[in-house]
Amino acid sequence: MKDPSRLYRWMLLLTSLVSLGFLLAAAVRENLLAEWQQRQRTYRKLLAEKATDARGRELLRNFRIELRQVSVPALGAVDRCVSCHVGIDDPRMTDVPQPYRLHPGEILEHHPVDRFGCTICHQGQGAATNFHDAKAEDAYWEYPLLPPELTQATCLSCHDVTRLPRQDVALVLEGMRLYEEKSCGSCHKLHGRGGALGPALDNEGMKTKHQLVLANLKPPYTTWRWHQAHFRDPAGLVPGSQMKNPTVTESEALALTAYMLSLRQRDIPESYLAPDKIAQKFRALSPQPQPAERLYRMYCFACHGEGTYGRWEKVFLRFIPAIRGPLAVTATRRYLETQIAQGRPGTQMPPWHSQAGGLLPEEIAALAEYLRSTAAASPARATAGGTAAVGRGDAARGQVLFLRSCAGCHGVSGTGGVAPELAHPVFLQAADDAFLASTIRNGRPQTAMPAFQRPGSAGLSDAEIVDLIAFLRSLATPPPGPTAPTEEPSRSGGNP
Amino acid sequence: MATTAPPSETISATQEFLSNLRQLPRNLKDAWFRLGRVPGSEREESQATFHNLFLHLHSVRVHRRTLSPSLTLGLGLIATFSFVVLVITGLLLMIYYKPSTALAYPSMKDIHYVVATGRFIRNLHRWAAHIMVIAVFAHMARVFFTASYKRPREFNWLVGLGLLVLTLALSFTGYLLPYDQLAYWATTIGANIANSPRELTDALGITPYFDPGGLQKRLLLGAQTVGEDSLIRFYVLHVFLLPLLLVILLSVHFWRIRKDGGLARPEDPAGGWAEWGGKMQRVFEPLATKTYGLMAVVRGRRPPVNRGPEGTVMSWPHLFWAELAVFMLTIAITLVLSFYIDAPLKELANPAVPENPAKAPWYFLGLQELVSYSAFMGGLVIPSIAVIGLALIPFLDRRPGGEGVWFGTPGERTVAWQSLLFGLASTVGMLAFTVNFGWLRNWFPEIHQLWIIAINPGSILVVLFAGWSLWVLRRRNSVRLAAVALFTCFLVGFVVLTYFATVHRGPNWQFYWWPSQWPVH
Repeated sequence: MKDPSRLYRWMLLLTSLVSLGFLLAAAVRENLLAEWQQRQRTYRKLLAEKATDARGRELLRNFRIELRQVSVPALGAVDRCVSCHVGIDDPRMTDVPQPYRLHPGEILEHHPVDRFGCTICHQGQGAATNFHDAKAEDAYWEYPLLPPELTQATCLSCHDVTRLPRQDVALVLEGMRLYEEKSCGSCHKLHGRGGALGPALDNEGMKTKHQLVLANLKPPYTTWRWHQAHFRDPAGLVPGSQMKNPTVTESEALALTAYMLSLRQRDIPESYLAPDKIAQKFRALSPQPQPAERLYRMYCFACHGEGTYGRWEKVFLRFIPAIRGPLAVTATRRYLETQIAQGRPGTQMPPWHSQAGGLLPEEIAALAEYLRSTAAASPARATAGGTAAVGRGDAARGQVLFLRSCAGCHGVSGTGGVAPELAHPVFLQAADDAFLASTIRNGRPQTAMPAFQRPGSAGLSDAEIVDLIAFLRSLATPPPGPTAPTEEPSRSGGNP
Repeated sequence: MATTAPPSETISATQEFLSNLRQLPRNLKDAWFRLGRVPGSEREESQATFHNLFLHLHSVRVHRRTLSPSLTLGLGLIATFSFVVLVITGLLLMIYYKPSTALAYPSMKDIHYVVATGRFIRNLHRWAAHIMVIAVFAHMARVFFTASYKRPREFNWLVGLGLLVLTLALSFTGYLLPYDQLAYWATTIGANIANSPRELTDALGITPYFDPGGLQKRLLLGAQTVGEDSLIRFYVLHVFLLPLLLVILLSVHFWRIRKDGGLARPEDPAGGWAEWGGKMQRVFEPLATKTYGLMAVVRGRRPPVNRGPEGTVMSWPHLFWAELAVFMLTIAITLVLSFYIDAPLKELANPAVPENPAKAPWYFLGLQELVSYSAFMGGLVIPSIAVIGLALIPFLDRRPGGEGVWFGTPGERTVAWQSLLFGLASTVGMLAFTVNFGWLRNWFPEIHQLWIIAINPGSILVVLFAGWSLWVLRRRNSVRLAAVALFTCFLVGFVVLTYFATVHRGPNWQFYWWPSQWPVH
């Protein structure tokens, strides 16, 4: 009779052999062939080559192949990088290949490894014990190893960048300069100051790749590769993005990227902060007014440019006025200040008062004065309110005139078209009658707004202008209309 | 003791002590292996079985069919042995794992990178869990298609169903423990499935007064969202309560196998000849006047003890060789998989960055697909129907016949094939239709949610399957065949939906042919 369990005994033999084989293989792979162990074996050979004196021989004798780590509870870091970078603090290891080489520069003198660890500056997955996972570009880890040229970005976590040696943080400083030059603050808020069209950037350096649109980026996916590509072509990376192309070179994009990576809101214990960083934080509590010219460059330039010509903005589908043109001359200071402080709700122009755009009242005043004092000389420079004897006009007659002469550009009910919206409450509140009259009368040179009462031309009479103004005023208290300035034009990332 | 020792004793106590010391190894061996050698006779083989706590769960002799690999495919054993692997590796993982939201993820990283072979042990745990879930499902299908649930094994079918639920619960509670993104969002999805009765109560507007969904979710998570409370809850369930329940139910399951007369099989022809091992052999006929000892007290119509050599073989060694072989097979498969494929560990759980798509564990993905049509239907009604339907099978199909034989009822194979095709066509068809044309909400945006709860691809599939089963019932005039039709459709639906949701559902639960086509974000 056939043995009923013969099949099973063969199966047992086979599966036992397979199991034994794989158990052995796993034991060897996990316990003997780990990457860090192989690295340390190589390092021991290097130690032996360099053991020329008594000290060197002692180091070699005491060298154990073991997992090394720096545990920094205050920073929440357990960094095992030193398991492979064994020679990081051995001054003899200058002519050896990575990962055995001495840490470059004098940084470790001020930042002892056992107090700071590695990832506070370099990022990467400190817990990992092989290079692929430690670098973490292609691993499930939020903050991969920074490339060497961008590592300076993390210096700003603990230092006031202006107090660091310039050559060490040159890229970040260049990025900061470009941030001002390219007027990024017109749309982005940083440290509580800036526009509201784009997301706030205070924590941009801590963003992970999952918070970015990666669809049009080629791998490897890292935040810095995204930033670099994005600075070169914002809409190409994020379809539908309204961000203006900052027109930067490849190296400028890298500098801006370094600056973005340096923006980190990380809770680092005070004992780790440089005194100048604490002083910087303290200073930030009582901001000093900036010169108006700089403010204009930082917060106005992106949209208004030099401000001498108005233009049609294709992305916004809106007219952007020439704020350093004749407007600045005809308008009163109060008008300009109100416009800057309140913005134009419902348009892309955000409010800039201290609770919104973060500008101080004296800065806004200085900006208004700057616009007026530097306005381009205009042939039609007229004295404001020359015939300002504005009486009570007839709004009904004004409406007929408006439909005939103004509605083509300003919209039938003044809601704006190619020309700005006149029914806007902030505008009507800020603009006094003299300003309105003078603008209608003299037009706005260098824009499409014509003069309606040139000497010797058949234009509007003074009385008609008064009627027109009456009509405009009637728009300020409209029957329930769609112009209530409640809508927040912000698309920002919600920085409080 | 000295007082009771006979005074005539010539050897001193010292000598006795030394002699005992010399014989210690031998006596230890005798105490351990009571027989002291490999059993030689059938009597000794019997003793080897029933003198051992672990082996005495087996009968001394088993039917030859029990050893046939094609009858059981070893699936129940594979599930059991996976559980053994899970317990052992789980205990090892518990030594390093810390169940708190702040420490769980770093402790996983330590297990992965620092603990000696920690990564490999975790891989084993993960793979054994997958194998166990698959084996339990497959085992259920095997028992069904061999009609092994029939009287007197109805109760054991119910116990098995309980084990299925426990297995899924164990796997699901283990999913959260690494506290990575995968864990966090899969658990969130699972909790939302528990929350699904809310769709009905919301549609009726009675949620503020009667909210069983919210209660279920809070009971599961201990909070409104996944966090510290959920983690400790899942941990206790995963490492203590559920394994304990599973061991108890598993013991009952095995005990019932023994008490129900071993594995289901067709009756041997009494007193006649039967073909075994290629030869015609005489089959033992028990005497009506004789009892066959305590071991014969089982509910089968013929006692398995003392049956002639034609039908049965000794459990020792044959059955134990087989069990050992399946045990090693399970271990080998788990080892090979764990050697090459690492268990996933994503970024630290971050409630602010949702995974897209957030997917439940794979065995719940069929449910998630149904939930995407209607939470109430897919999350509560359909699974309830499935579980109750499975539980009722042995009580609605009571005509004996076909036990222990694959597709043993006449016409069963045909019905199974037809049902396979029907289930495949209707499930794939329904999915294709939904993907291409949308559903009621797309056509009538204003429609009341109650309509969608009642009429959605999931409920239509249930109706189609039930209709097909009823048609088979009338046409074939057989309850068993109707059950085969329904069960096959259920199985096919489960597999297809699970596959579909795993492979073809991408971000925002959109249809994609392959995951490589997902937009990167």
